[in-house]
Amino acid sequence: MAHVGSSTVPLPSIRKRPFSIKLIVMILIPLIIGVALGYGIAFATMGGGGVTTIPSEKTVYKIGFTLPLTGELSSIGKIWEKVVSLAMEDLNNEVASYGFNVEFNAVVLDDATSDEKALQNVQSLSQQGIRVIIGPAASSQVKVVKTYADNNKIVVISPSSTSPTLAIPNDFIFRTVGSDAGQARALSTLAYQEGARKPVVFFRNDEYGNAFAEFLEQNFREKGVTISKLSYQTGLSDYASEVATLASKVQSEGADSVILIAFDTDGANILSHAAESEILSKVRWFISEGPHGASELLAPAVGKFASKVKLYGTRPLFIANPLYEDFKTRMKEKFGIEPAVFCDNLYDAIKLAGWAILRAGSYDGEAIKNTLPEVAKTHYGPSGWAMFDAAGDKAQQDYGVWAIVSTTEGYQFKDVGVFERGSVVFTEQSYP
Amino acid sequence: MINFLQYMFFYIIFSLPLTLSYRTTKVINFVHANFITYGAYVAVFLHGMFGNTSILLAAIIAFLIVGSMAVLDNLLVFTPLQKRGSSPAMIMISSMGLWIAYRYILYMLTDIAHFYISKNFVSYGRITYADVPSITLGGVTLSQSFIAGMIAATIVILAIYLFLEKTRIGRAMRAISDNEVLAGISGIPKDILINLTWFICGGIVAIGGVLWTSFSGAITPEAGDSMILQVFTIGFIGGLVSLWRTGVGAIIISAMENIGIAFLNAFLGVPVSFRPFLTFATLITTLVLFPPLGAGGGLPYRFRKRRLLK
Amino acid sequence: MIGFDVVGFLISWLTLFGIYSILAITLNVESGISGITNFGKVVFYGIGAYVSATLTTYLILMLNGIDVNKTPPYNINGVILLGELGNKNPFLNIGLFILAVVLSFVVAGLIGYLLTYPILRVGPEFVGFTLLSSGELLRIFLTHYEPVGASRGLMAIPNPFGWVPDSRIRETLYLILVLSFLALTYFVMKKLVNSPFGRVLKATRDDETAALCMGKHVPRTKATVLSIGSGFSGVAGVLLSYYFTSVNPNMFVPAVTFNAWAMIILGGLGNIVGSLLGAAIITFVDRALTFIIPLLGTTIISPDYLRGLLVGLLIVVVLLVNPKGLLPEKPIETPASKEVEKELSEKGR
Repeated sequence: MAHVGSSTVPLPSIRKRPFSIKLIVMILIPLIIGVALGYGIAFATMGGGGVTTIPSEKTVYKIGFTLPLTGELSSIGKIWEKVVSLAMEDLNNEVASYGFNVEFNAVVLDDATSDEKALQNVQSLSQQGIRVIIGPAASSQVKVVKTYADNNKIVVISPSSTSPTLAIPNDFIFRTVGSDAGQARALSTLAYQEGARKPVVFFRNDEYGNAFAEFLEQNFREKGVTISKLSYQTGLSDYASEVATLASKVQSEGADSVILIAFDTDGANILSHAAESEILSKVRWFISEGPHGASELLAPAVGKFASKVKLYGTRPLFIANPLYEDFKTRMKEKFGIEPAVFCDNLYDAIKLAGWAILRAGSYDGEAIKNTLPEVAKTHYGPSGWAMFDAAGDKAQQDYGVWAIVSTTEGYQFKDVGVFERGSVVFTEQSYP
Repeated sequence: MINFLQYMFFYIIFSLPLTLSYRTTKVINFVHANFITYGAYVAVFLHGMFGNTSILLAAIIAFLIVGSMAVLDNLLVFTPLQKRGSSPAMIMISSMGLWIAYRYILYMLTDIAHFYISKNFVSYGRITYADVPSITLGGVTLSQSFIAGMIAATIVILAIYLFLEKTRIGRAMRAISDNEVLAGISGIPKDILINLTWFICGGIVAIGGVLWTSFSGAITPEAGDSMILQVFTIGFIGGLVSLWRTGVGAIIISAMENIGIAFLNAFLGVPVSFRPFLTFATLITTLVLFPPLGAGGGLPYRFRKRRLLK
Repeated sequence: MIGFDVVGFLISWLTLFGIYSILAITLNVESGISGITNFGKVVFYGIGAYVSATLTTYLILMLNGIDVNKTPPYNINGVILLGELGNKNPFLNIGLFILAVVLSFVVAGLIGYLLTYPILRVGPEFVGFTLLSSGELLRIFLTHYEPVGASRGLMAIPNPFGWVPDSRIRETLYLILVLSFLALTYFVMKKLVNSPFGRVLKATRDDETAALCMGKHVPRTKATVLSIGSGFSGVAGVLLSYYFTSVNPNMFVPAVTFNAWAMIILGGLGNIVGSLLGAAIITFVDRALTFIIPLLGTTIISPDYLRGLLVGLLIVVVLLVNPKGLLPEKPIETPASKEVEKELSEKGR
């Protein structure tokens, strides 16, 4: 700016200050901390490679994890992270109690619920020498990872991928969760039993939702009921207008129930909006396992809606399983959270991985791939019998029915029934 | 129908500040998405950690915090880059870097909060506030978020209008957006005003974020990200410079998304999952039919089909 | 950090680096040199990937006499068949690969050409946004289009080298393939830029009106650049689909384009070698951090969050230190200009 009265007016030039001290300090500090921590711990742990044998000390095996800690499945992914630490602890204790001088370490990476990152994680983990990886969560991620795993002999165990197109035998992909065909049967039986004769299926337009809806259509047709389908685009920030369309569809077709196939964030969003719709509050609602465990469903708005419409959902669960109850209690004690859906499948996957490595005697992918089904045959855990079928997926998956009930501590998820021999048996009455 | 109005309120609150910030600072700011998310999370943390149920308090605190965040961005990143002669594209990419960084910082904050309070903050449910009523008019219930949204949107529109038209500072801001050099010469303290613009824009968006917590059933650290495309679309309809057109854009897009898709679904059987398709189709149509004057445009004369002088 | 597979790391890093570099180089030529702010790069990438995926999976089934109406490649039986048949006939695989590359180049290039029309009428920011929207439009369309698997996408896409028994050799061969395409793209783009045509491109970027005054046909220039750049991006998409052996619509989101932009700006807009550098840095840092981060153990905060944070900060820091990117834009070197320079330097002595 020119100063009036000065003889020389310095022309405004771009002052080239080479660096701004403030800025450098602000940026460098976290970088330095990060790197320092990394090196410090590297020196301390002497880690590296999948197996380290220190004479007269423990053999350390590493198990890799690729979890959705950010992205669409992150709310479940965060809970899974806690399950991982619980399970690893249990595994190490169990193994020690059998007299093995072995320790298992977890290496956890975030895959942001993205396919490419999942592949990158699997590649990085395998390049660090890890041969057993648990995850990824989404079927599309498993598909991308499959070729690399098969080619490089890495055992991949997914606790939550349910796509029917991955039921391929003789590969390195194992899934400790049953296919959705079974759950669709449970869900359709539940709805039919509760009186649904004109349901509208509201589902995610992705693989999970589409496959589920198809199974439902088939199951209902066997019972002589025709369903109405309405799909919605995934990954949106809000579903209010989809819910409005659903409401008008329900009204125009005179439907008596809605079956929702969703994940947790979209499910919670949809239920919150449905709670405000007169039409939608007058029909029965049934849900798949996706939203189970998500704390957003325990918000009062949704809780009230649940009791109004007598909301029931299904999920993979071995009923009256004392191991599951035990698991639940310990999660609550240690971390203050209820286990969400697939936590039990994840827990068992970790146990299976550990025992398979031990049984194989060496940290070799091919060997572990062969011992895993053997170990699973006799393993019973919080998710029930772990046995695999020919395609490497969980052979026996039971399903339970859950509801959102009001307790002294607010709304909670409660398992209120089982799907047994083709019909649903309620163990308690949740909605008056 | 209600949804249309509700969304209109939200879009107005989110996109007007975008246009205002761009035309004054000429920065295409991706951190805008984080403004929304951070605003929402201020409300979430206040509710989850301290049990706050006052939307007003949450709004005020969010305004202050996110506003300061915006100013900080400007001071530490945008201004130094501008002084060193970075092109607008560079600054846009730097805002992208910030966008990524902020997202992970928020994830880390939720982790820390979880450690202290044992609640999962990565995904948070709808918050019901105590100080906003939910009114029923003639059989139609207007939810909390509707009332709050209506009030907030009206205040925001009035405030921006009055500010820019009537106050000296506002007019100075408009001067900067019209012609920066002349504004500087005529004695307007550009730097202070630009910081003020950032503060206001960040703050307003944050209020929108707080309101969002009473509407959406699930708040995650990526909540703003999924909306950012629509907000930018609306901004672009306004050419990123005209506030009027932005407002109109908000109305159009909200209408397409809520009423339009309902029509298409009911009468033509278009699947509801086509909704985002509609948004973009609307944008392209608008741009082709009514090219905005804002950021330049128009086909070079030689290649236009119709010529006035033959 | 003993005991980690350096060769494997290099192979997997360089393959993705190669694919992304093709995107980065073409983006740099389109946006950095010609001024078409292309925010829709992922459109052509996705088209290339889907064309090759669809072509390969359908043809392998059909050529083996399987009725694709009964067992399309996207349902489980189709997938199992693909797994069995995919690696039997080396010539078939390679032949299909070549066909896929050519077809993708043509289709992607054509779409690039068509997209030039809507963007001629608007300024740079709008060009970007229009192209971005077309990216989203494509993605949503693919999610609904049944023959390409809709939301399931396609999987078990047979790799051109799938018949090679040893996986390490297979990966290395594929890497060589990717790098050859990268080299091809690099040289073509370099030739394109270091020529009188390149000067027209820069003129269009710097001052369109002036270029028009000089009689340069600006719309045709833009169309040429966009179609060639898109064609190569389509090829990158082909390489991706074979590498991942599966495609689905959610792989082709705007974030991919933003990633490519970050690479070229880091490396220096307008400098082709710079885009390579930018791509290398970004792909390397993220991957390298996955080796360091696990050493931090589990703390209150998931340590992997640091990875994302550092990547974001890296972009900001590099820009602050070098606002014009790491490598500056070089003047155009046509054979003629080289002659002139030689003359001048000789005269100077």
